[in-house]
Amino acid sequence: MNSHSATFAADQPGAARVRAGDLLAVDEAALIRAAQAGDHDAFERLVRNYDQSVLKLAMNLLRSPDDAYDVYQEAFLRVYKNINSFRFDCSFHTWLYRIVTNLCLDQLRKRKVRKTEPAVVETPEGPIDRLETTPEHRPHADPQRALLSTEIKRKIEDTLSGMSARERMVFEMRHYQGMRLRAIGDVLGTSEEAAKNCLFRATQKMRSALGDLI
Amino acid sequence: MNCEEARQFMLLAGYGELSFEEEEALELHVASCPGCQSERAGYVSMESLLAQAELNPPPGLLARCRRDLAVRIGEQSSPARRFAFSALWRRWVVHPPMWLRPAGAFAMLAIGFFAARFVPDTSLFAQFAGPAEPASVARVRLVNAAESGQVRVLYDEVRQRELTGSLQDDRIRSMLISAAADPSDPGLRVDTMDLLKNHCERDEVRQVLLHALRNDPNSGVRLKALDGLKAYAREPETLQALAEVVQRDDNPGVRVQAIDLLLQNREPEVVGLLQELLRREENSYIRSRSQKALSEMKASIDTF
Repeated sequence: MNSHSATFAADQPGAARVRAGDLLAVDEAALIRAAQAGDHDAFERLVRNYDQSVLKLAMNLLRSPDDAYDVYQEAFLRVYKNINSFRFDCSFHTWLYRIVTNLCLDQLRKRKVRKTEPAVVETPEGPIDRLETTPEHRPHADPQRALLSTEIKRKIEDTLSGMSARERMVFEMRHYQGMRLRAIGDVLGTSEEAAKNCLFRATQKMRSALGDLI
Repeated sequence: MNCEEARQFMLLAGYGELSFEEEEALELHVASCPGCQSERAGYVSMESLLAQAELNPPPGLLARCRRDLAVRIGEQSSPARRFAFSALWRRWVVHPPMWLRPAGAFAMLAIGFFAARFVPDTSLFAQFAGPAEPASVARVRLVNAAESGQVRVLYDEVRQRELTGSLQDDRIRSMLISAAADPSDPGLRVDTMDLLKNHCERDEVRQVLLHALRNDPNSGVRLKALDGLKAYAREPETLQALAEVVQRDDNPGVRVQAIDLLLQNREPEVVGLLQELLRREENSYIRSRSQKALSEMKASIDTF
């Protein structure tokens, strides 16, 4: 908690954050141990450290708020039930992302069987067009540009649907989550080289799908 | 290096996954190969198209996820004890055996009778007239002893209240501005930024976003702040903040977004910064954006 405060008030964000990063790693180990001892507050803080990126990953992989909600719930419940079996032999991030990516892979594979995916989905917050959930950059400025933007999103959406579950996973984690290939390999239980090949295939597919727009 | 290798490396270079030597070899090849130059330009365009397709969870979804998770964890935390208690409740209270029912009715009457005798008449009044129990004592400010032997304690207390209203409401806005600076909860700060970013026409909101962009330790919060400042990228204060972020932020994702925003308007003031970036930036996407922008602005790619 103190490390957060100190960093937040710092004038030089870069340098201060590096120090805070070290402290956070120590804090995280302490949080995990406290959660293993049954401390609910510590568990909640662990969840809050990661849950936004988990939800965003699930949302971008599954392109559905309902499915992202299910993955979020299931992933953190599994973490809660199995926190005592976490032995610090990998980072907590890797362990959590293994759980999340396995759940997403299951969903994507099931979906390959179901195949169709409606553009508009019902959520407790009201109906949401999956293609419209991305904030538009000045959407009212230029209708032609807005139209083009929708077309681009649709093409990207179609290409992502056409990728294999693993390609999509690697592409998403590298491109939108900014994870290193080595970390992606750890999460997916494969080598950095295999993750690299997978990323290359996925990017080539995306590149050729967007060919006439770039 | 041949063109096929260069194209493989180009992709990895965009993600900052190449070693120094690999990147140098790539640069040498691209500099002398027009085909690979246009291939690289294609990758850069693809990057900006892909940025448009990134989905953000709908507002409120994160809060719903957290709330429901807390409920489900609460249900799971002591299943054995809960099961035992609920079984006893069902066995003896909801469906008591027939022989126990008259005894139960008699016991209720007896409890009512004795309770009325033992509870003082003023109990109801006393309950409301006495000092309220503190919701939660945040800090004891003062303690002193009176001559009668009583002790006087002065304390602050924390109470949970709910406030509902639009973002035009000053009270709501001031609460959000204070939540945006809560160092203990990055999730709260991200949610707050998400709300504030659409109201940057107010100077106080823009100042909050600029402060978060420069100082918030959470990259998610900084990205939200950048998003909110898009429409104000021409303003000197925003330009200054973007320049600082591009040079100092430790997150490549934030730096990439900041450079895109900085180059959106091609202000002449950024030439020096771009030259500096070209000299020392590690991320090849940012370097290539800087180089491209400099050549489009017909500026030298070197500092003098």
